[in-house]
Amino acid sequence: MTLAPLARWLRQNRGFAGALLLFAAIYLVYNLMHPRGFSAAVFVQNSNEAVALAFVAMAQTVPVLLGGLDLSVGAVMTLTNCIASELVSGSPAQILFGMVATLLAGTAFGLMNGLVVVYGRIQPIIATLATGAIAMGLALWIRPKPGGEVDGDLNWALTNTIWDFADTYGFDADSPWLAPFADLPVPILILLAIAVLVWVPFRRSVTGRTVYAVGSAEGAAYMSGLPIARAKIAAFTLGGFFAACGGLYLAIQTSSGNADIQQAGAYTLNSIAAVVLGGTSLLGGAGGAIGSLVGALILRVISFYFRILSIDPLLQPLIEGLVLLVAVSFGAIRTLRVRNKLDLFR
Amino acid sequence: MKRLLKSAAAIAVLALGTQFAYAGPEMVSGPGANPECFAPWSGETKFMKWNAKPGPYRIAVVNGFVGNTWRIQMIKTAKAFAEDPAIKDKIKEFKVVSTGTDAPAQLGAIEDFINQGFDAIVTIAVSPDGFDRVIRLADKNDVVIVPFDNVLDTDKVMQVNEDQLEMGRKWASFVLDELKASGKTSGKLLEVRGLPGNSVDRDRSVGIHEVLDKSGGTWDVVQVVGNWDDGTAQKVTADAIAVHGQFDGFLVQGGTTGVVQAMMDAKHPMVPIAGESENGFRKLVAQHSGEGLKGISIGQSPGLVAIAMKAAVSALEGNVMPQLISVPLPVATYDELKDGTNYWSDLPDNFFTVNEFPPCGVNVSGPAIMSQSEADVK
Repeated sequence: MTLAPLARWLRQNRGFAGALLLFAAIYLVYNLMHPRGFSAAVFVQNSNEAVALAFVAMAQTVPVLLGGLDLSVGAVMTLTNCIASELVSGSPAQILFGMVATLLAGTAFGLMNGLVVVYGRIQPIIATLATGAIAMGLALWIRPKPGGEVDGDLNWALTNTIWDFADTYGFDADSPWLAPFADLPVPILILLAIAVLVWVPFRRSVTGRTVYAVGSAEGAAYMSGLPIARAKIAAFTLGGFFAACGGLYLAIQTSSGNADIQQAGAYTLNSIAAVVLGGTSLLGGAGGAIGSLVGALILRVISFYFRILSIDPLLQPLIEGLVLLVAVSFGAIRTLRVRNKLDLFR
Repeated sequence: MKRLLKSAAAIAVLALGTQFAYAGPEMVSGPGANPECFAPWSGETKFMKWNAKPGPYRIAVVNGFVGNTWRIQMIKTAKAFAEDPAIKDKIKEFKVVSTGTDAPAQLGAIEDFINQGFDAIVTIAVSPDGFDRVIRLADKNDVVIVPFDNVLDTDKVMQVNEDQLEMGRKWASFVLDELKASGKTSGKLLEVRGLPGNSVDRDRSVGIHEVLDKSGGTWDVVQVVGNWDDGTAQKVTADAIAVHGQFDGFLVQGGTTGVVQAMMDAKHPMVPIAGESENGFRKLVAQHSGEGLKGISIGQSPGLVAIAMKAAVSALEGNVMPQLISVPLPVATYDELKDGTNYWSDLPDNFFTVNEFPPCGVNVSGPAIMSQSEADVK
């Protein structure tokens, strides 16, 4: 590859490249400072902690690309978490059915969001505020008290390294062809697999590109004859699917479900922060779900530092907020250098 | 890269080794060490014993939600106790983090401290379930996890708490007795509950209703959710008084100062009330008990963190410990209140009054903590 396409890619994905660089830098330093840095145990722990948030951040990205906000992502994650805690146990067939049903439920909820926004003609932020409350209500109805059953083997296999995964399900864990991958954490692979298999094809489809077009200039997209209604419905449906992935993973990780209202709210807000950190514009039209995934990782790594540094516990939220503000401000540095303010709206 | 792979392989082999050598506490028979302080929950409580480790130890506190007075007071108590001469020499490193109400973050923090080689982790769980994985890891690495306050629905870890069921029972019995003394054996009660979905909220309410059901009287109980917060409790109480008119008694899980404030604002007659250990509530009861605000105040003490830390150290030293440690309920009724002893008219309303547990050697007095600046506690 010559440098020209790379330079063009960089110009077009400045936010994402910046996020990737920031993540690489702070994660490297974290590992250098950690007494067991660069070990499989640390990678496994880190990725376990990040997966649910990364999925919810990806879920938030799609509506944000349209120029809207989805306030129901945290609630849909909680709802699917509660559904999974009821269904994901028993025989392998039952477990598989439970996982599929959980993902379908979240996807259906996203579809409902999309229908309400498109045919109800309600602003996404208000529509999803209401549907989010509905999701929370359903979650509390399914699981009034925290608890539930999720298959123990599944929990152990999916929250560890490939080696443990193979070992749990009776494959030959020490076979030589597995060795190069043996220490990779399963959760991060699930995350990457979903991102590559679902998000990348979507982004390349007409519907996906229409989502970007709507976010940039809805009027122009309409005049160009793009399928706007379909794109909006698809965007929210995909958001529901990603949120359901987060909820399902959370259920497997904790072997239980918990209709925690505060947790749902925290995830919704953090998802917006992750989307911005990942280089997606809140005005819509620019960015992507992979960026948000990296944004979620950055958000998590910032809090990792509190465990290896001695910082006054009551000052930690303040410092976390300041670091976040600085990180987000990097994305805005561009505004200082533009010659014409109109450039900002490109 | 090659070195990375090599070390990774070494860890895999290590993991293979530990897979079979399952460590963790051994179930033994009692009695445990220092029973005045570490009282077993009941006759059926099992006892645990970890392999003794040489001190001093590295201890971490992993808090969840932060942002109310109780939690701040708890964190300050933990820091002050870590500096206490009774335990200072036994602690090599002490860290406190708060993860917010976020289960993966809390589980992650616990796992991180296990990876870092900490010896004990004291925690307030954000959910009574979901800790199977970290418990398994802690057992593998011989790390002692001690949940307190919001404990887990499991008997695989050592936990420290006050008996929430008993607290609910005591509250209800007191209010019923006071009502009986004034000739009432049935009537309308307001129950102000705590954070929904929480084991503490559940158990306290169950205890209250157990006593009400057994009393034989017909009690019409109106339930509202006050989130253990003065502002929320005041608002929902005001609403309930506006809708239902008058109550014969109040059963409040927390935010009691706000509840009494709402009663006074609505000119609600002063009736028997059961509540938490907020300084403001005790002040109001001391002032108005003559007018009928006969109150009982039982507190979930932020000082529990100190007992949990002490229990962790004791377990690391190889002592036999009860699996579930019951800390006695600090009770004060309206006739026992004394300014400067069990409430402080010069301290803020939202300060929690009970902090000291003499049988455990936990003598970090609350006012001392609150009057110190942040810098002093460090």
